[in-house]
Amino acid sequence: MENIKTKQSRGKRLLQYIRKNRLIYLMMIPALGCWLLFKVGPLFGMVIAFQDYSPFKGILGSPFIGLENFMRIFKEPYMLTLIRNTVLLALYTLVFSFTVPVAFALFLNELKNSLVKKGVQSISFLPYFISSAVMVSILYTMVSPTTGVINMMLVKLGMEPIYFMAQPGWFRPLYVILQIWQTCGYYGIIYMAAIMSIDPSIYEAASVDGASRWQKMMKITLPGIKTTVVVMLIVAVGNIFSVDLDRILLMYNPSVYETADVLQTYVYRLSFQSTGFPDYGYATAVNMVKSVIAFLLVILTNKLSKKYAETRLF
Amino acid sequence: MKRKHRKIKLFDVVNSIVMILIALVCVYPFLYIFFQSVSDGYSLVNGEVVFFAKGWNLEAYKYIFQNTNLNIMQGFRNSAVYTVLGMLFALVMTFILAYVLTRRSLKERFAIRKLLVLSWVFEAGIIPTYILFSKLGFVDNPLAMVIPNAISTQYLMITMSFFNGIPEELDDAAYVDGANTFQILWKIYVPLSKAIIATIGMFYAVMIWNQYLFPQIYLKNPKYYTIQQILKNVVISDDGGTRTFPTVIQNGVLINPQNLKAATVFMAMLPIVCVYPFVQKYFKSGILIGSVKG
Repeated sequence: MENIKTKQSRGKRLLQYIRKNRLIYLMMIPALGCWLLFKVGPLFGMVIAFQDYSPFKGILGSPFIGLENFMRIFKEPYMLTLIRNTVLLALYTLVFSFTVPVAFALFLNELKNSLVKKGVQSISFLPYFISSAVMVSILYTMVSPTTGVINMMLVKLGMEPIYFMAQPGWFRPLYVILQIWQTCGYYGIIYMAAIMSIDPSIYEAASVDGASRWQKMMKITLPGIKTTVVVMLIVAVGNIFSVDLDRILLMYNPSVYETADVLQTYVYRLSFQSTGFPDYGYATAVNMVKSVIAFLLVILTNKLSKKYAETRLF
Repeated sequence: MKRKHRKIKLFDVVNSIVMILIALVCVYPFLYIFFQSVSDGYSLVNGEVVFFAKGWNLEAYKYIFQNTNLNIMQGFRNSAVYTVLGMLFALVMTFILAYVLTRRSLKERFAIRKLLVLSWVFEAGIIPTYILFSKLGFVDNPLAMVIPNAISTQYLMITMSFFNGIPEELDDAAYVDGANTFQILWKIYVPLSKAIIATIGMFYAVMIWNQYLFPQIYLKNPKYYTIQQILKNVVISDDGGTRTFPTVIQNGVLINPQNLKAATVFMAMLPIVCVYPFVQKYFKSGILIGSVKG
């Protein structure tokens, strides 16, 4: 008897709760539905990594083949090249596009003229909003062997023109240069904000003690932004597998595959540029291995940043 | 003492020059493209256009405007329509979801937020997404540029962190006065959130305008192409530049494929360059919220 009573009142309370929130629920339905369908929905499609997927049979009709797709990954000799390219590209990007903005922000902060400071900051931030297609188009124009400004200068200096876009050795440097160009100002702003939050009285005290400008930069400013730098580094390590796919797809061509082909571009070609029936199951398996490693890295780095900087990233 | 003073001055001068040089290096590629697009073909071929335009003219742009068979103007219009519609739709969806997920009265909000982070960190990848989206009819459908990417987890979180800063007592007071949730959202939250609406809207607009891979996968019919896809076809894939563009004399000015390519590239970045000076302060505040709290 008592049991039923509490059940009833619980039901009543739930009903009351729903009634109180009914407008919130109503508002939530389209937005949440949109997000569930388009962002969470595809996650279920990942089962095709365990299937011999055929578009005609669909996900429900295709036979499960266990880990066969994953076993194929280990047998594929080209996978080694892909992994090496992915990791190397990510490492180069990490080293350069991470250190350059720190130095940039440090020296930008030393500018006395605030108008110049603002101007430099605004201009350097602009490339962050320019699309990969535009950036790569500009790159092609500038390094063109016949009409590009770079090769014209090389010729003037008495050198042979270089076919930048067709040489595997040039792919990584060009990719990293574009990365620095695109993100230097963006990270510069983050570091500048960290510098601004340093207590000015520390600098005054140092000046009284006769510290030089260089000493202040190295002993106050740099340690002052240490936390931000470390958090940014951890984020960068966590994202090490997320290369800029748009940029690579626009930059590469078969003659530079030996350095430019990474896991993501390989998956893209398997699924959208293969002749005959694309091997969706296998391509998804490759992508899944990458995603799992990336996921573990992000979780690990999030733990690290929590421990180190006392701020979680999410 | 005096020597030290002079040394500091020297550092300032050198530092200023280096910083201005860096800014010039950042902006030079854009200027280079612009100069190429407004110079005449002779000067280009002779390699005279390096730091400044020669033989100023706008014939390359006129040519692109007039020759609709190049599809460049169409791509530009398509991108503009996708961007405006997509931004509006994304703003409404993100704003509502962020509002709902920061209400204390909604008990399920923590569970939903956990799922949110999961879907952010763990992406399904292009193939499962393609299979689902093609089932939903987004292949060769312009709505693909508007609807599926409406909610970016990152921008949702930025908006949520902004709403967290608004005291919820405001809601309670309005409820007491007899307002409902819609009215509260429209009359109180929208006016309070002008800055965040501008920031998030601009981020979405830039994201949609700049997308390359997504339309490349879903929009295969040339009449739906975005300007970025067109760039790929006429500038990058056509490296010699002679397949798409001719060399012509128009109104007495020689224009060659190089002029026309540069003009196309410049048009693809023009909308962003135009709005950038007015919205950069929003962008700055946006990335700072995103980097601290995101």
